[in-house]
Amino acid sequence: MPAPSLIGIGFEHRVVVGLAELAVSNNPSAVLTTYSLGSCLGVAIYDPVVKVGGLLHAMLPDSSIDRAKAAAHPGMFLDTGLPALLREAFGMRADKRRLRICVAGGAQIMDDGNVFNIGGRNRAAFAEFLRRENLRADAEQVGGSVNRTMYFSIQTGRVTLKVSGLQNELILC
Amino acid sequence: MLTLDSFIKSIDYLPPMPRNTTALINLLDRPDIDVDQVVELISYDPALTAQVLRLCNSAFFGGAPASDIHEATVRVGFNEILQLVVALGTATLMRPQQKGYGIEAGDLWKHCVTSALVGKLVAVDCQADASLAFTACMLHDIGKVALSRSLEAKYDEVVAETKRCQSPMLVVEQKLLGFDHAEVGGRLLQLWNFPVQLVQAVQFHHNPAASPQHRELAAYAYYGNMIACFMGFGCGLEALAFQGRSDALEIIGTTPEQIPGYMAKAFYAIRDTEALLCFPF
Repeated sequence: MPAPSLIGIGFEHRVVVGLAELAVSNNPSAVLTTYSLGSCLGVAIYDPVVKVGGLLHAMLPDSSIDRAKAAAHPGMFLDTGLPALLREAFGMRADKRRLRICVAGGAQIMDDGNVFNIGGRNRAAFAEFLRRENLRADAEQVGGSVNRTMYFSIQTGRVTLKVSGLQNELILC
Repeated sequence: MLTLDSFIKSIDYLPPMPRNTTALINLLDRPDIDVDQVVELISYDPALTAQVLRLCNSAFFGGAPASDIHEATVRVGFNEILQLVVALGTATLMRPQQKGYGIEAGDLWKHCVTSALVGKLVAVDCQADASLAFTACMLHDIGKVALSRSLEAKYDEVVAETKRCQSPMLVVEQKLLGFDHAEVGGRLLQLWNFPVQLVQAVQFHHNPAASPQHRELAAYAYYGNMIACFMGFGCGLEALAFQGRSDALEIIGTTPEQIPGYMAKAFYAIRDTEALLCFPF
């Protein structure tokens, strides 16, 4: 027997998207949440018509370093995680033309020589994917040296951010 | 403004490191390390004994359950036991919230455990002492526990200063207090009579090349800290506001190209340990 629906009673349930994971939902009570992005990139996609949303927490830009790990955890890499995220959302009737996309994370340490720039490379891989797919980001809050947590309400499509060490949350999109 | 020495003397709120943990860490330094001595030290602490046995008998290690510490040490391995004890022993100090850094309860310990797992992975590949690297990484931010309360009263200033000048947290600490968490951590370990390589590893974990004798161990602490921060296990305000040091990688003979590979490996090490030490991520 399916679990009783809490829709309309005002309950929210938090779905945690862990490191190297992705999740897609059309449950209006779900709040997809991913904690502490560091240099990782959090990518939220949303189709406001069918109210389908997905969230990815990707660690690294490029799966060519380890195809086996990418097969086991496509969300670990942007080049495997982003196509998987879109595929899952399309499977729930999301339409590419209606997608709203927002992104957060990609922080980096202070690196004059650009040696350690994992955050920057993640951002570049994301931009390259959008360009290839003819998509664009509607909002972004990336770079800097802070940790960010994303909360994504499927009901409203709103994405809010909590920056580590600061009290207030801010609305990303 | 206080000097480092007078600050250290003024600390009256730092919970002590469990005595057995300190004694065990001191054993790391000894070439003639004796398993029986380690077993005896753990046995003095019933709570620690119970925790170690629970972990050794968990699905992670598998095999037939061990009924005492000696059996567990033989079965799981001496180094594994030592690392478990260090991780558990530092939890009391590191788990509380550190308000002065904007660090939530549990997050500093999680950061240090992650750093330690990374340090160990890299040390094994570089054929260095994995237990020592693990311990250096586990302890690297201990100075933050001592400094947090001093910064708490100036938290708005800390936030404003890090935003205003985009400078490393270490510089902000120096500016507001006259010393930083790496110096304080090193001095604390010295007072607790820790081996000199751990003192220097902690003191120079943000600039390993400056360590007079133990650049390598300091570089493991730097590496563990850095990867943990990249993976989102940095904690508190401006967690990634520290200087990139390519010379730290050269000291231990690794290259920047290896960083993504270690992040991917660390992902699995953290997942295994999560089940073991019960912290969800």
